[in-house]
Amino acid sequence: MPIRVLPTLLVNQIAAGEVIERPASVVKELVDNSLDAGAGRIDVTVEDGGRQLIRVSDDGSGIPEEELSLALEPHATSKLRHPDELASIGTMGFRGEALASIASVSRLRLTSRATVDGAVRESGASIESAGGETGLVTPTACSPGSVVEVRELFFNTPARRKFLRAGPTEVGHISDVLQRIAIAHPHVAFSLSHNGRVTFEFAPTDSPRLRCVDVLGKEVDEALLEFESRQPWGGVWGLAGLPSIGRATAKFQYLCINGRPIRDRNLAHAIREAYRGLLAPDLQPVVVVFIRVDPHAVDVNVHPAKTEVRLREPGQLHGLVLSAIRQRLLGSDLTPSVALNGKSWRPPVGAEDPSAPAPAPVTAHDFVEYFKRMDPTQKGFVYQQVREQMNDAPLLERVGDGQPGNGFSGPPAPVTAAVTNQVLQVHQSYVVTQDDEGLVIIDQHALHERVMFEQLRKRILSEGKPLESQRLLVPEVLHLNPARMALLDDLAALLERIGIEVSVIGPGAVGVQAFPTFLFDRHVEPGEFIEGLLDKAQEGAFDVKQAANDESALHEVLDMMACKAAVKAGDKLSGEELSALLTQREEVERSASCPHGRPTTIRLTLRDLEKHFKRS
Amino acid sequence: MKAICDRTALVESLNLVAGVVVARTPKPVLTCVKLTAEGSLLTLAATDLEVYLRVNTPRIEISEEGGALILADKLSQIVRESVDPTLTLESEGDATHIRGQDSHFKVFGYPLGEFPAPPEFDGNADFEVSAGSLTQQVLQTVFASARENSRYAMNGVLVEREGNKLNLVATDGHRLAVSRGDCKAAKGDSRTAIIPTKALTLLSRLLNDPDQTVKVKIADNQAMFVTDNAMLSTKLVEGNFPPYKDVIPRDNDKKATLDTQVLTSAVRRAALLTNEESKGVRFAFKDQSLNLSSRAPEMGEAQIEVPMPKYQGDAVEIGFNPAYVLDALKVVDANEVQIDLKAPNKPGILRTGNHFVYVVMPVNLQ
Ligand SMILES: Nc1ncnc2c1ncn2[C@@H]1O[C@H](COP(=O)(O)OP(=O)(O)OP(=O)(O)O)[C@@H](O)[C@H]1O
Ligand SMILES: [Mg+2]
Repeated sequence: MPIRVLPTLLVNQIAAGEVIERPASVVKELVDNSLDAGAGRIDVTVEDGGRQLIRVSDDGSGIPEEELSLALEPHATSKLRHPDELASIGTMGFRGEALASIASVSRLRLTSRATVDGAVRESGASIESAGGETGLVTPTACSPGSVVEVRELFFNTPARRKFLRAGPTEVGHISDVLQRIAIAHPHVAFSLSHNGRVTFEFAPTDSPRLRCVDVLGKEVDEALLEFESRQPWGGVWGLAGLPSIGRATAKFQYLCINGRPIRDRNLAHAIREAYRGLLAPDLQPVVVVFIRVDPHAVDVNVHPAKTEVRLREPGQLHGLVLSAIRQRLLGSDLTPSVALNGKSWRPPVGAEDPSAPAPAPVTAHDFVEYFKRMDPTQKGFVYQQVREQMNDAPLLERVGDGQPGNGFSGPPAPVTAAVTNQVLQVHQSYVVTQDDEGLVIIDQHALHERVMFEQLRKRILSEGKPLESQRLLVPEVLHLNPARMALLDDLAALLERIGIEVSVIGPGAVGVQAFPTFLFDRHVEPGEFIEGLLDKAQEGAFDVKQAANDESALHEVLDMMACKAAVKAGDKLSGEELSALLTQREEVERSASCPHGRPTTIRLTLRDLEKHFKRS
Repeated sequence: MKAICDRTALVESLNLVAGVVVARTPKPVLTCVKLTAEGSLLTLAATDLEVYLRVNTPRIEISEEGGALILADKLSQIVRESVDPTLTLESEGDATHIRGQDSHFKVFGYPLGEFPAPPEFDGNADFEVSAGSLTQQVLQTVFASARENSRYAMNGVLVEREGNKLNLVATDGHRLAVSRGDCKAAKGDSRTAIIPTKALTLLSRLLNDPDQTVKVKIADNQAMFVTDNAMLSTKLVEGNFPPYKDVIPRDNDKKATLDTQVLTSAVRRAALLTNEESKGVRFAFKDQSLNLSSRAPEMGEAQIEVPMPKYQGDAVEIGFNPAYVLDALKVVDANEVQIDLKAPNKPGILRTGNHFVYVVMPVNLQ
């Protein structure tokens, strides 16, 4: 085929292929335009998932009649004049490409009544286009602002139309896109209607937090921790969801740079790191992050849909986001309260993604459910056990002057705000105590694991010392295949940091010369431990090459140590051990979750208990 | 069977056999003690299928020979709770009657034939040893054996007889205790056997008279210890004992002599400021004094000086788990102990002459 210059329509359609992927992309481009026009209110109406109709109307500055046809031309924009401006884009759009692209693959009608130099034009005008064939501008009565209607998307590119999904799926995407934009622009009112029904409506507000709560649902309001870090060049503000509202997908992470919702792997990593060890590995945090930087410091012209940007200093922002969130989390009581009515957080309306996996069960919730389902004899049995423990545990001191020998009947003990040393171990697995907010239930293994983990970490990181190790009389011999031998060699420096000394003593054989004293005390076998570590390395749990100085490798290894050394469910703990565990809980960081991120502690608040006993 | 027994003597004998009786087992006869009245002797026997123990209970009078199987803990309770100076034991079928002045118990048991047969002792011992010396050797080693260990056979004590020398050796992989002694009337080739720790502990409890003679026989898979009034046999631990002679260093050139009591007190005090993750105590040997120091992060630190007039060699600093050092000091039977060292990462030796040699691996302190 000879080389030819492509006709304009084809050029636009090809461009549309990159920019307009599905109805949600149309919504995004149109809403971006409305925001650029300074709209205070933006209403989006769709029919049949946007396949039939997408209408975006705003009360922005509009387009003067004489520029109306230009707006649909490719590479026509009012937002960029000079090449220098590309380096500091302050508007959502800048390429002059979106409307032309959309017009080339749909039947589009643009109606607008402009405000020029503060004066509203007497009347509006409209222009229509079908698959890029633009009609004439005709005067049309309308209110100030613009309305863009896009019908029969992809009617002239059947291949693409075929790929559109069912209505609800497409509306899901539209809703997600619009919510991301809405979070980034709290001052603007937004609404979405689908097939004549209002999906959501957000009132304008000065408070970014309020808008986030509008979007995420007010049930989670209490579970959102605000964080902020101001910097000379801008800063970070955001909301960090408590681990208890962690979700199965990363969908509920909202990242905005200079008002532009974006996706960014580097910053997503920072968020994940900030929650490391606080959240179960199969859960993702709910987080909102607003970043303000000098527009020169971000290049937005890297992705056709403008959902990714290039940062001039990604490392700096990574560090800032990580530390802002982490500090906020470490400074907070992350103990989840379990509501006795058992309601856990559902994603907000319109945000359901049918393809997303079901949310992971909430452990605390399950625990309560378990008690509720117990039959009366079982319950009685538990009560009796608890009572016996209360009677013979010397450590117990009852609050107030209670009845002798019976912790349950008798007048209710006065509620004190002090943390008392009333502790009991239930089923040799859970530790129950109280604090000033209510009843605290602790998973003994999970908490002890966290305590050991933090103690070990502290010794290695803040004291910069390897763990104390006991040398062996006769080295314990391990036989390893060549791959594992090589792996062990790569891990040598990491092993040294944790007090394990291994040396090659023959072909395919290594000898353990020294092993941490505390692991010996807890009956952890050197051979078994090292084999386990090699298994983890082979599974790719951490980067072996980086193991010596990478914190995540150390985390994995300490985690393994802590898990093996910690008391197990079913271990009977003495009164002394119980109180030591509770003291340590106060002392270590992140005590609300085990190093794997599962909760160590749940709380039944007095308020919930009162509600449950119908005392309110 | 019918016998009149001195109650106090019976309590003592029952306490000894109770150490063997299994508490919970699908084989109920193992929860019993077997009573046998024969000639002028009443014997009590118990077994857990690993160890078989039989003791003669003194101060009895037999009026009818025979035997009985009776639940060990019931018999113990009854005998202990009774107040009479003597009790009469009488069997009737599988049951046993226990009569005091104002009491009569009838306790159901099991047919005598269901009790495992005792191992045979033909009277030919491999060697003999005095009870006092054997007890001391057991005491100096059992503590160092491993509770459970899959590598090597370390949950037992190695008994090694070479000519008229008898060595007991135990290790848990972190330290090794060797106690050397003498035996007499040795016959046949030298032999080694690994005796379960539990059996040796029971044995040392049996040997309350140091002047007694213990006859020892070691067969293929069992060892037997016989005295005039007791017999203990045990299965041997199978497997290989670590090559202990290779582990005892010969070139430890830094030698200290210390007062046992003073050192014990110093180590105990230094151990006060250790914790789970920092349990090592630093031993700094220099010139005429040994400095012990310990440090528990967030708790504090300790320093103790021990006079050490007879030190030979260069200064050396080495970390030890204080519990390991104290374990050895507890069983030392001399006023002074010698400590021989080489380097901070090399085994240390604590010994009293050559009778008791204790090798202890250091802790890396940093
Ligand atoms: N809702 C609106 N209100 C006012 N002006 C609008 C509106 N929509 C489009 N325009 C005008 O039409 C022009 C073309 O819009 P289009 O979306 O195609 O390009 P752009 O926004 O400039 O750049 P981009 O392709 O990056 O979106 C805009 O520059 C703007 O002047
Ligand atoms: Mg645009």
